[in-house]
Amino acid sequence: MIAALRKGALRDVVVVIVVVFGVGSIAMLLAHVSPLDGFGALFDGAFGTPEEVAETLVQATNLLFPALGIAIAFRAGLFNIGAEGQLILGGFAAGWLGAQFPLPPYLAVPMVLLAGALAGGAWGAIPGFLRARFGANEVIATLMLNVIAVLLTTYLVTGPLQQGGGGAAETAALPKAAQIPDLIALAADPHFTLAYLLTPFVVAIVLAFVLWRVLARTVFGYELRAAGEAPEAARRAGIDLGRTAFVAMALSGAIAGLGGATIVSGGLHRFNTGLSPGYGFIAIAVALVGNLDPRWIIVASIAFGMLQSGGIAMQAEAGVPREVVTLVTGLVIIALAGRRVVANRRST
Amino acid sequence: MRKRFGAVQAVDGVDLELHPGEIHALVGENGAGKSTLAAIAYGAVRADEGSVDANGVVGLVHQHFKLIDRLRVWENVLLNREPKRGWTIDVAAARERVRTLASTYGLAVDPDAVVETLPVGIKQRVELLRELDREPSVLLLDEPTAALAPSEIASFFTTIGDLAKRGTAILVVTHKLAEVIAYSQRVTVMRAGRVIASHLTSETSADAIAREMVGGEVPALAARAATTVAPLLEVRALSARSATSALANATFDVRAGEIVGVAGIEGNGQTALADALAGVVPFTGELIYEGAPLHAGDTPASRLARGIRVIPQDRRHEALVLDWNVRDNVVLGRQQSLAIARYGDAAREVIERFDVRPADPNAVVAQLSGGNQQKIVVGRTLTSAPKLVVAYQPTRGIDIGAAALVQSRLIEARNAGAGVLLISFELDEIFACADRVLVIANGTFVGSFDRASIDRGRIGALMAGHA
Repeated sequence: MIAALRKGALRDVVVVIVVVFGVGSIAMLLAHVSPLDGFGALFDGAFGTPEEVAETLVQATNLLFPALGIAIAFRAGLFNIGAEGQLILGGFAAGWLGAQFPLPPYLAVPMVLLAGALAGGAWGAIPGFLRARFGANEVIATLMLNVIAVLLTTYLVTGPLQQGGGGAAETAALPKAAQIPDLIALAADPHFTLAYLLTPFVVAIVLAFVLWRVLARTVFGYELRAAGEAPEAARRAGIDLGRTAFVAMALSGAIAGLGGATIVSGGLHRFNTGLSPGYGFIAIAVALVGNLDPRWIIVASIAFGMLQSGGIAMQAEAGVPREVVTLVTGLVIIALAGRRVVANRRST
Repeated sequence: MRKRFGAVQAVDGVDLELHPGEIHALVGENGAGKSTLAAIAYGAVRADEGSVDANGVVGLVHQHFKLIDRLRVWENVLLNREPKRGWTIDVAAARERVRTLASTYGLAVDPDAVVETLPVGIKQRVELLRELDREPSVLLLDEPTAALAPSEIASFFTTIGDLAKRGTAILVVTHKLAEVIAYSQRVTVMRAGRVIASHLTSETSADAIAREMVGGEVPALAARAATTVAPLLEVRALSARSATSALANATFDVRAGEIVGVAGIEGNGQTALADALAGVVPFTGELIYEGAPLHAGDTPASRLARGIRVIPQDRRHEALVLDWNVRDNVVLGRQQSLAIARYGDAAREVIERFDVRPADPNAVVAQLSGGNQQKIVVGRTLTSAPKLVVAYQPTRGIDIGAAALVQSRLIEARNAGAGVLLISFELDEIFACADRVLVIANGTFVGSFDRASIDRGRIGALMAGHA
């Protein structure tokens, strides 16, 4: 069942490129902008200066964490649509706890990241438990929990835990000790120190390779993939499908939650309601374009990160509405889904 | 006709002629190219070279049913050809059309039954009815009797024979040589994508065809060694239920060092029995294994840990991960106990002892023939030192050579001291392998025979539900 989602990966790349440039060009022509200027502004905005390259990589990182989480769940046969909520809750836990307990850096950073992973993991574990215990559909459960996560955190930072100055809907600023360095700071002040090994970008790439190895070379990964590909055969081979669903969803949520924590600790330095412009949803496309393979997801996240960061420049410099990026992202998902249906028909 | 799949030349320059009114049998080992040829003739697969000329509609009944389980019989039979009344489907007319069709061909079936609730034998009737509704002038049948009971097979061929008499040209792809001899007029033998021989059936024999199929002598079954039997599994008043099958109040023993055959027509409680032993459905009654009870809430993992190994009936859904390679499928069920570094060794052992072709641990299982897929399932079961083997239709839809190999390995496991419960719908298989035969009908055990006192007629009558 999961194999069907992953068939014809190489041709998918062609589909993505055709959709991005083809539909993007049409949309720009409709906005009376030359596609050459529009895409020129997009690339220039994404890669024109060191700061813009850094911004592209930061956007890529913010997509990479939830995309990796989504891929883990998908590989186990579970359609986790809830990465957005898991990421937001992870970011909230990191921001609130980090501001609450002043600790030395070697404790504060791990605490903030762990808090994010645990909160996201718990948010993922809920649908995992419902699925394992009652056979509840995880698509609906995760979708609903997204809404709950947004409303719950919004309530908390506008109500009982509102700590921002002037009534802003945010938690108090993180102390320096709980912050990790980010690439934008490096681009502005190019003095590399060992601390940059902790930038979210590096952490995410290391995590991707670890997950790739775990999936390919461990018993846990083997059982997870078996449950996703052939649940009945897996069950008869002694694999506990309920337990696998629970663990996969918890892990998936934890990775997305860790992503939320890195946005807080590495970029915003506090939690606020503008934490995510929908990273958890765009990440579904990233995971699928990356063929649910952590290594390719790195590449896909950089491509989508480019669209995210270049989109702003495109609007400012070429006058192309930023919504073109949203349009293109949506069409990529539709095109990939369509291609897979066709590939499946041919293979059977 | 020529067709290549990747590195495999599946069909390699084949000419075949079917005549109206004739049942033409196409036989050959797994991977000989029979199914591919049928799929090309039907139009489901495009040939690389060659052409098909048919005088009318070509119908194909697949070995693996292509039915929509959630729909009713009439919906499946008339799919895309539903009688309309204005914008809507005329359900009454549809029902009537299926009923008429069924009675015309003697294929009794309830038009309103939901397909997923039907036993395999009835599902096949639905498949056949679907093709017959298109009034084919050529009908291709791929392994049509693989899942049928002895009595059903005879009536199936009566139906097919009637169809031939009305002028339909019929091609039956099969492994069962007894059926070829009994029911076909012409037989073509394929091997490695080529036609080896073509005869009038009256001018050849099952032995001669078998030799042509395997390209030499048919392998004999392994010899049965004298064993000392010891208590292994005691089943007391076992009742269980699985999706399409129920078992009530079964009491019997399986001892170490013997093969106990369960003879019966499909859908009489065999699936519930196998599933209860596998730990995938709950049960009532007692199962005493090696002197200690098995519990109704046991997981499949705990049964595996105690040395109970089940070869499930449906290898494609219940046993294999089709998109994985041979190596990863060989270790399925042992992934916890076997070190990852040893996966390759385990795969090579199964490939060697069970003659899996291609002999490549990295080959994707979906691309292997059914017989080679089954060798992987049986091989991984028997190479993992099982104490109790439950083999449910272990040779379903596979050829003579592969079936003889599987049966021999089961006998060797018995010789080595394992207890084997062989559940099969094919009496010949049970008689060839079993030390004792139990007969199952309507979900209960209705007879027991020692090897020395096997009475084929009596067993057949018991299977059909005559006390």
